[in-house]
Amino acid sequence: MTDTTTHPATLEIEGRIATLTLNRPEKRNALSRELISALREHVETVRHKEGVSVLLLRGAGRSFCAGMDLKAVLKEPGAPLELLSGIAELTIEMRTMPQVVVADVRGAAIGGGCGLVGVADLAITHPDAKLGYPEVDLGVCPAVVAPWLVQSVGAGVARRILLQGGTLSGQRAYELGLVSHCVPVEEIDRVLKSLTDRLARAGIRALAATKGLLGDLEAERIHAAVREGAKISADVIASPEAQERLAKLYG
Amino acid sequence: MIRTERYDSQMPGVGAVVLDRPERRNALDEFALRDLSLELGAMGADDSIRAIVLRGEGYAFCAGFDLPACLEEPARLGKMLEALAETCATIRRLRVPVVCAAQGAAIAGGCALAASCDLVITDRAAKLGYPVVTIGVSPAISAPMLSLAIGDGRARERLLDPALITGGRAQEIHLSALCVDLPEDVTPRAQLEAKRFASKPPHAIARTKAWLNEIEGTDLDDEIIKARDASLALVGNEEQRQLLASVLGNRSKKRQR
Repeated sequence: MTDTTTHPATLEIEGRIATLTLNRPEKRNALSRELISALREHVETVRHKEGVSVLLLRGAGRSFCAGMDLKAVLKEPGAPLELLSGIAELTIEMRTMPQVVVADVRGAAIGGGCGLVGVADLAITHPDAKLGYPEVDLGVCPAVVAPWLVQSVGAGVARRILLQGGTLSGQRAYELGLVSHCVPVEEIDRVLKSLTDRLARAGIRALAATKGLLGDLEAERIHAAVREGAKISADVIASPEAQERLAKLYG
Repeated sequence: MIRTERYDSQMPGVGAVVLDRPERRNALDEFALRDLSLELGAMGADDSIRAIVLRGEGYAFCAGFDLPACLEEPARLGKMLEALAETCATIRRLRVPVVCAAQGAAIAGGCALAASCDLVITDRAAKLGYPVVTIGVSPAISAPMLSLAIGDGRARERLLDPALITGGRAQEIHLSALCVDLPEDVTPRAQLEAKRFASKPPHAIARTKAWLNEIEGTDLDDEIIKARDASLALVGNEEQRQLLASVLGNRSKKRQR
């Protein structure tokens, strides 16, 4: 077994299902550089496991993911761009891996954390969960997640969600198409098990070919936009408006 | 018929551009559309403005083009289409979010304006849609914006079927973000949403809107022009002139009864 106290992300593989856990519960699984690197390494490992057809993404503790750990890097010039570029690459890797990515979203998925939900092929949450992209409220531009959100919920709804900022309930996220399943929290385990079992029974090649085609339809344009988004977002973080708000938040 | 409002004291940073011809359900002609585009552009260029409400005076937001004017002088229909395309593109290019208060009715050109806005508020019983194929006119002009707003499948449905939908249905298909019970609550709600936008960091909002525009495709302006030309191509043909005359003829007969 892996030593969970020192690993920011843990990977367990059982049969056709790989479970990747964000493991910084004391920081509500905020995406630090170390966590992002660990997630990318594990995604790379799973990508090459031919007998695995499902990647289940979950968070240890009460929250799925509180978003980017900006506090840790704010004072270092260049660090926000590095962090955002890491998230951009992680999302592209999750999207292009042959496995079906399922997000198990409990508690909260905020900012970059909600970005991971938007990249997942399927996502389950509960009606009173908190999801959303409050970036604009902090003077930050959610540029990396925007191309994915436009893809998944459509340009009109994405525009509304990102410009309005704030957070949404799990129920509202379900109505807007941000997640595929919304059930009472005590039923998540059961519904998730029947979902992953169903996926595990499906043809591995059929799933991979379907996901591959959907990826091809998105084309390189999206990947280029996601990478460009990291630069835009870092640029906006460096603006006085964002610096002032972030200083207040972390002050 | 176009005027502007500012709510400096109660809602700093919020402005409104108002269609003000309630006796004609704010029907627009090419002059009104040009003024609308200019006023929106001017307000968007004003640094003190951070969000704009687009609204119509009276019980309907906008019933579309001034059709009797088109019947009198057929060439004006083409001019109205050109001015509408320009206004939709202007709304998209504005640095600040635009909230549409679509109470009562947002029909044809009125629905095209609403679909170009960042946020649409309507009331449950409002009527929205594109009945213009019944007068031999193509609503193609609205297709680029409407496909972005509600997806291609729904956009086909709405542009090809001349039936109107209710505000409740518009919310289900995400044409409107929010549907309130009463028409008189639409504008206050739109103002509230604009006030929320205005309270957010302006730089982040402007960059996010610009980035969303870019993701959707920098060729949107070209698409709007192509769509406008598709609509223009039908203007003035025999079918269109006959249909327009007969629809307006029936309307005035109904009124006389």
